[in-house]
Amino acid sequence: MFLNLLFLTSALLTVGCSVAVLAVKNLMHACVFLLGALIGIAGLYATLGADFVAVTQIMVYVGGVVILMLFAVMLTGGKDHVSKTQKLKSLIPAMGNKTSYLIGCLTALVFFLTQGYLVSKLLGSIEVQKQVDTFSPTVQELGELLITNHVLPFELSSVLLLGALVGAAIIARPRKARPQYEEEAEEHH
Amino acid sequence: MFGLEWYLGISLVLFFVGIAVILSRKNIVAILLGVELILNSAALNFVAYSRFVTQNLDGHIFSLFIIVIAAAEAAVGLAIVIRYFQINNTIHVDEAKELRG
Repeated sequence: MFLNLLFLTSALLTVGCSVAVLAVKNLMHACVFLLGALIGIAGLYATLGADFVAVTQIMVYVGGVVILMLFAVMLTGGKDHVSKTQKLKSLIPAMGNKTSYLIGCLTALVFFLTQGYLVSKLLGSIEVQKQVDTFSPTVQELGELLITNHVLPFELSSVLLLGALVGAAIIARPRKARPQYEEEAEEHH
Repeated sequence: MFGLEWYLGISLVLFFVGIAVILSRKNIVAILLGVELILNSAALNFVAYSRFVTQNLDGHIFSLFIIVIAAAEAAVGLAIVIRYFQINNTIHVDEAKELRG
């Protein structure tokens, strides 16, 4: 009962907030709606019995990524605070002529048919459990898996994070300031 | 009560909303919001399949790595956006055409 309630609340929060990210004009509001969608996804992880992933989702996304997004919006917002959403309808005539549309439609048709065939074959071959009622804590098992079977991607992700953070700091560093300092130093000399 | 199909449906909605955000928004930060939605839909699929099909924790580990990579991607992407704003004083996508071939 509680599980169904949690699932329904999280699903409504996720779908509603993600559609609101698409629909709302103000970019600041879109970031806040993205926060709601991410919290809803954490609730969905909780209903799937993935406790550690749910807590990590809240810590990393809500505590880190969305705050970064909000800072980026505030730093780059200025006069262009309301983002210009462009209507897709006005874009359609600018994308090509009838032949390219025909080729695109045929490609999409072939693609969907082959994908549907493959997916139906695949769904026939795997066994999907209708309902899993057992909930067990996953933290200890996840920790053991991370340092035994998956130790190489675990270590590589530390290198990746270090590189990404140092790279972000170097990229965002203002380089325009240096010539001014040199000019001032020359003036002092 | 709620099986695999519900989670796949939510993930599908998230994916298409992310694609629509990327296609319709004109602000680079908003495009990064769409990328986050798409990455989350993939991670949700991994965890749902690992509960209902394989019944081990490999999907959880994959989803954890997706979260790590999304954090790194957001940090680098936002640094590039802020740097671009410092240079060109705009982050409208149509204005960013220095690398157009």
